[in-house]
Amino acid sequence: MWEQIRANKRNSILLLMLMAVVLGALGFVLGMAFVRHPAGGLFGVAGALVLWLILASISFSSGDQIFLAASKAVPVTKKVHPQLFNVVEEMSIASGLPMPKVYIINDPAPNAFATGRSPESASVAVTAGLLGKLNRDELQGVIAHEMAHILHRDILFVTIAGVMLGAIALMSQVFLRGMFYRSMMGGSRRRYSSNSSGGGQAQLVMLVIAIACAILAPIMASLLYFALSRRREYLADAGGARLTRYPEGLASALEKISQNTIPLESANKVTAPMYIANPLQKKGMKLSNLSSTHPPISERVKILRGMGGASLTDYSQAYQKFSSHKSSLTSVTALKSDEPVALRQGSAAGFVGRKKQARNVGDIMRKVNKYKFINCDCELKMKVPPDFKANAVKCPRCKTVHKVK
Amino acid sequence: MHRMSRTAFKRSLTIRKWPITMIGEMNCPVCKNSAMVVLELDEVEVDYCFDCQGIWLDAGELELLLDGSHVANALLKSFRPCTDCSEEKRPCPICLKKMQKISAGSESEPIIIDSCKKAHGLWFDAGELQNVISKGSLDAGNKINKLLSDIFKEQ
Repeated sequence: MWEQIRANKRNSILLLMLMAVVLGALGFVLGMAFVRHPAGGLFGVAGALVLWLILASISFSSGDQIFLAASKAVPVTKKVHPQLFNVVEEMSIASGLPMPKVYIINDPAPNAFATGRSPESASVAVTAGLLGKLNRDELQGVIAHEMAHILHRDILFVTIAGVMLGAIALMSQVFLRGMFYRSMMGGSRRRYSSNSSGGGQAQLVMLVIAIACAILAPIMASLLYFALSRRREYLADAGGARLTRYPEGLASALEKISQNTIPLESANKVTAPMYIANPLQKKGMKLSNLSSTHPPISERVKILRGMGGASLTDYSQAYQKFSSHKSSLTSVTALKSDEPVALRQGSAAGFVGRKKQARNVGDIMRKVNKYKFINCDCELKMKVPPDFKANAVKCPRCKTVHKVK
Repeated sequence: MHRMSRTAFKRSLTIRKWPITMIGEMNCPVCKNSAMVVLELDEVEVDYCFDCQGIWLDAGELELLLDGSHVANALLKSFRPCTDCSEEKRPCPICLKKMQKISAGSESEPIIIDSCKKAHGLWFDAGELQNVISKGSLDAGNKINKLLSDIFKEQ
């Protein structure tokens, strides 16, 4: 665990440095091309470093907020879903971390992610579909997996990498589009001012930069993907199993998540590696894929089910037995300090049925969307949307009048 | 007006696998600006407009209610595309595209309802759903039947 934390902190700093170098180089090229002064390159570098500082401070101060907003996650109170809060509290106690903020994403596809700069400012987001589909043990497994990501400081690295990737993608878009409009507008103008060669040169530089960015963006993307690769997911699974002492919960949750066929609407390529299961997985796509950010779920489930105990040692033994990788998951020193953890029994949680679950998902989404729930004495439930205009509703069944506002 | 082919019509009636439509709030297709309230009784849910008493049955809801494709098919079989309906076309509360008119119930006294061409669901004006049921298009033990006769028994 400590090794993992150190590696993540080191990687975060490395990534920031790499980004500074890349931006500085871009700034130098731009400055040379546009500023007609011998020190133009230096101006460019200075500008790029300012941009880098802004980016870095954004990813440190509010990177998590950007992701939560991009995923359309809504902060919720304990009232909306008490069970979710209980489970998160349990897991924060088990892991010794402060209670993270809890968000719900209004989406029927089951998935979850954690983000934040440090354990003190961490957030856990789950979709309404996840809450509707999983029983308590399974939800606990998923939350434990996310807490393990927080514990291992995976969240810091992913957040920084995500903001940087987003910035590069944005810049390449700006350059490409800028080039497009320039050539559209400039096409007619150049005929009259063909004696100024500076414009043509700048355009050439723009072209080069645009191409460089276009090449760079996917490389950064795959860097992010590799960095957040399978190893992190396996280790978070191991950490989650240790926290709950019940790997079966996470295993069956993963199974349920993998059976889902609805894509998560608010996920994109940048945020995909953050989720517990790849949200962009298409049906029929081969699960084991080189470019995949997540290990195949079937393999994760097999490892979790093959655990003899709940410790890291048990997980890495199961890993060597069931995964297709030959190398060991953790170092020997990490296993030396590992203490045996016994498995616990699952709690008795009944299956509520498909109808009830679909209804649950709907109700969670409505609560998140600030619907008012009115329970009439005649057992009719009325779910009133927030933009309902009248001040009162009359129950169509027993004619009782209920106040809405 | 151009007539839809029979297969295209049937396809437009097929029920979607998952009720992904229940996320957002919906406005009544008749009153346009009034938000519909969700009514739930015995795990059955319908969207209800307090202004015009119309009822929206979500496709996912329909599937959950009918619970089995043969019952759903029996219901859908009693629906025929309505070619000479003069009733005003209404927008689907989910996709806002114009819905098609469908006649349900007996040949002699058809009840005209609205169905979304993208299979988002069915719209019943005030009293229409009760009429469809009382005309025997739905089997007696059906959950929708029970719900509606229970909720709206005095109307």
